[in-house]
Parts: sequence; C-alpha cells; structure tokens
Amino acid sequence: MPVIDVTEVTKRYAGRTVLDGITFSVEEGEIFGILGPNGTGKTTTVEIIEGLRAADSGSVRVLGLDPITDGRRLKEFIGVQLQHTDLPDNLKVWEALDLYASFYEDPRDWRELLVEWGLDDLRNVRFAKLSGGQKQRLIIALALVGNPRVAFLDELTTGLDPQARRATWELIKQIRATGVTVVLVSHFMDEVEELCDRVAVFSQGRIVAIDTPAELINGVDAEHSMRFSLASDAAEEILDLIRRVPGVASVQRNGAVVTVSGRSDFATAVTSVLAREHVVVTDLRIDKRTLDDAFVALTGREFDV
Amino acid sequence: MSATAKLTAVESKLLVREPGSLFTVVIPLFVLIVFGSSIGPDDTTLLPMTIAIAIGLVGLYLMPTALATYREKGILRRLSTTPVRPASLLVVQLILQFVLALASCGALLAVAGTVLGARLPANALTFIAVFVLGTASMFAIGLLIAALAPSGRAANGIGVLLYFPMAYLAGLMQPVSQMPAILVRIGEFTPLGAFRQSLQDVWEGTAPDPVLLGVMAAYAVVVSIAAARFFRWE
Repeated sequence: MPVIDVTEVTKRYAGRTVLDGITFSVEEGEIFGILGPNGTGKTTTVEIIEGLRAADSGSVRVLGLDPITDGRRLKEFIGVQLQHTDLPDNLKVWEALDLYASFYEDPRDWRELLVEWGLDDLRNVRFAKLSGGQKQRLIIALALVGNPRVAFLDELTTGLDPQARRATWELIKQIRATGVTVVLVSHFMDEVEELCDRVAVFSQGRIVAIDTPAELINGVDAEHSMRFSLASDAAEEILDLIRRVPGVASVQRNGAVVTVSGRSDFATAVTSVLAREHVVVTDLRIDKRTLDDAFVALTGREFDV
Repeated sequence: MSATAKLTAVESKLLVREPGSLFTVVIPLFVLIVFGSSIGPDDTTLLPMTIAIAIGLVGLYLMPTALATYREKGILRRLSTTPVRPASLLVVQLILQFVLALASCGALLAVAGTVLGARLPANALTFIAVFVLGTASMFAIGLLIAALAPSGRAANGIGVLLYFPMAYLAGLMQPVSQMPAILVRIGEFTPLGAFRQSLQDVWEGTAPDPVLLGVMAAYAVVVSIAAARFFRWE
C-alpha cells in the first residue's frame, strides 16, 4: 500500500483553479520530489496532504487516513517543515526540541537529534542567534522529533549558501536511511536531481510527468551539443563523416574547435567514429542534458523562478 | 510532562526573557515611586492610576504584539501540523499575560503598602471584581489588535498609538481633577477610563458606579466577539 495516495484532487481559490486533477502516490521509504516553478500548486498540494487545507474534490489518503477527518491521528505520524516558519527569537535550541517532542505520543529522544543534526554545541543558543543553515537544521530536526513515518520538507534550501545547501542534502539522505518517507517540495532542479527517487513535475496546477529524474531526462529528446578540438593536420573529410552520424543535426568548425549538435545518443556515435578513424581530439566536452531540459520539454516553457 | 504543561513552562520562560514584560512592570512602579513621595496617606488617585497604566500596557502593547508575532512567524500554522491545537498556545498566552498583569499589580500594591505607606482598598472583593473586569476589557482590545494587525511590528505600533489617547482620556497622564470636565466624561466611556474611575471609587471606599462596570463589561464582551470573528491563524 502506498504511504500517500492522492486521486483526482482539485482546488480552487476565488474562482481560480489552483489544482486541476492531481493524481499520484508515494511509496514507503522513497524521497518523492514535487517540482515546479512557484505558484504551480506545489505547496497547496502538500498542505492538502498534511490536512491544513481541504480539497474541493478528489480523495487523499496518508497512511490509510483521511487528512481532514482523521487529522489529529494522522499528525502523530507526520513531520512537517513549512516554508516561511520561524520560532520565537528567545527560544533556545534544546527548548524547541524538548517542547515539540512533548506534542507527540511516541517522540524520538531529542538529545539524539541534537547530536545527529550537529546542534549539540548550540543547544543553549537562542533561535535568533543561529545562522541560516543552523536554523534550517533545527527546523528539520523539529520535523523529525515526533518520530514521523512521513516527513514533508517544503523549499528547505531556499536562502542557504551553496555549502549549506550541500550539507542539507547529505542530511536529507540520512533521513531516508532511517526509513522515513520524504516528500520534498522544491523549485531547484539540482536538488531534486540529487535527492529524489521519483519526481512529479507540476505545471499550472497539473502534473505533467512522474518518473525518476534519470528517466525524465532520458525521456526528453532535446538537442544538445558536444565540442572538441581537432589536431591541425586532421582532414576535412572527418567532418563529413560526423555529419552522417545518426542524430547529428549540425557540425560547425571554428578554427580547431568543432561543435556538433544533435539529438538522443549522437555523442557516443560521434566519439566512436573519431576512434575508428584514428582522429586525435583534445578538450572533448559533452553537454549533459539536465532536468532543466526535461522541464522545458515537458511544460513547453522555460523554468523561470 | 504533558504538552500543555510544557507549553506553559516554555511560554513562561519566553515571557520573562521578553524585555517588554519587564517594562510593563517597571514603568508603573517608576511612576508610583516618583509621585509616591509627594502623596499623603489618604491619597486615592495615584494607585488607581498606576494600576490602570500597568493593565493598559499589558493589554494594548505586550499581549497583542506577542500574539501577532506568533502568527507572523508562522508558529501558529506550524503548531497546526502537530497533534497540538494552535488554540492551546493562545489560551496559554492569555493566562500568562493575565499572570503578568497580576504580578505588576501585586508589585504596585506591595511597594505602596510598605515603602510608601499608602492607603490600600478596604474592600478586597470589590477591588478584585473591578480588576478582573478592567483587565478583561483591555485584553479584549488587545485581542482585536492581534486579530487585525498584519504583523507583530504593526500590532506594536497600533498598541502604542492607541495607548496614548486612551491613557490621556482615562486620566493617566494627569489627574482628572486637572482635566476639562467634558474629556473626563468621555473618558468614562473608554475601558481604561472606566477602569481607573472604578478603582478610584474602590479606593475612596464607595461602591463603583454600575455604569462604569457596564462600560467595561460591554467592551470585554463585544470587542472579544469582534476579535474572535476577525482572527486569522495565518
């Protein structure tokens, strides 16, 4: 049985359709990504799953419970990190964990979480005195202190510096290692690509694709390119051979530098042609297709955030 | 410890750490001590004034700022994702703010009764009734500010802005004997003014005017209902 089961959920605000028939399910133990630009219904979807809002139609089950009618029971089993939440400025780190632990019937030992999340040295520091990354670690630890089966993390690395983001990613992988199912809402492609087992791509209130990040990228036949430098004595004929490789769309030469564009797996074919002809190339670079390309192909628009 | 007990313990610590809490106790005490040296043992004006100042500061400034900040920071919303109802936090806050009001009033009475040798109310029961009614009416206004203010900072601003005209009309800036009669009359229809005047009646040993008690009760009920009606959790 899936941990989360969402079927044909719709939601309208003031006559505007925010969610238009959302269907997906999340399996136990996976990191499930909800990806899309701001304002595409990601947060609304998660809030409906958490029981903070009611859907206009459709059905939602989380651990077999209805988030609205069984809300109080469900909240024992979920941990939530909301976008834009703070704690009182004068609340100390240990007090926050101790307090939130008291809300649950079967909490985790918050002293363990202090150590796991690198907060032990900060236990007596007040919330307002923490750095952005430290605050984020505390907020995530609070989402886990109730010993949840599902954790919801909404835009958790927004506003963090690159180093803190990387560090946070490692911590999210740790959560999965403890068997907690994670629902990760993000508008960062790299984050989703790095962390998620599966991703639902949201666009204007609908899900346009659900798959693993790798399959989403593979499924997109966007044109991409490779570049290399030819030794000066290389014959011009090699470029004609490359032009005839399946998938190659164009070949351009600018001095020693050759740029080849094409679709699907043309780059592998081109490199094998070069090897067969014993052509020596240097500075070979193949542009990797990314989730950004997949997103543009799926939604027909640039990923503007 | 149960969630409510823990919440109360943590919120008490936060209230003590908040500099505003100290001010609401210290400012009325300061007024009492500065003017207390020049009052006679029969004075019935100063203590009612300082008690009204204390309750006005808690109700108009401290309490709405705390509640609006909790909403602004998303703390109420965060609580609604846990098994604890966010309403518990509001109830705990209201109780603690009332305890703070009691503490502030207690400090005033203690200093006045010992150091200054000032007159204390003869009828404790009437005093308690007036105190509860006056505090309820001021807290109702504080709740309405918290309900309407978009942020903690805004609540603070509205509270301060309301405090000065209300304190003036209530006769907290200068004794009512030195104010134009018409303003004193208007002041009796404000909750803070009705509160101070009722306290003064208690200090003079007479029964408080039922109209003043009615004014406070009306504010407490009507404004609380409005606050509940307009309150937003996020």
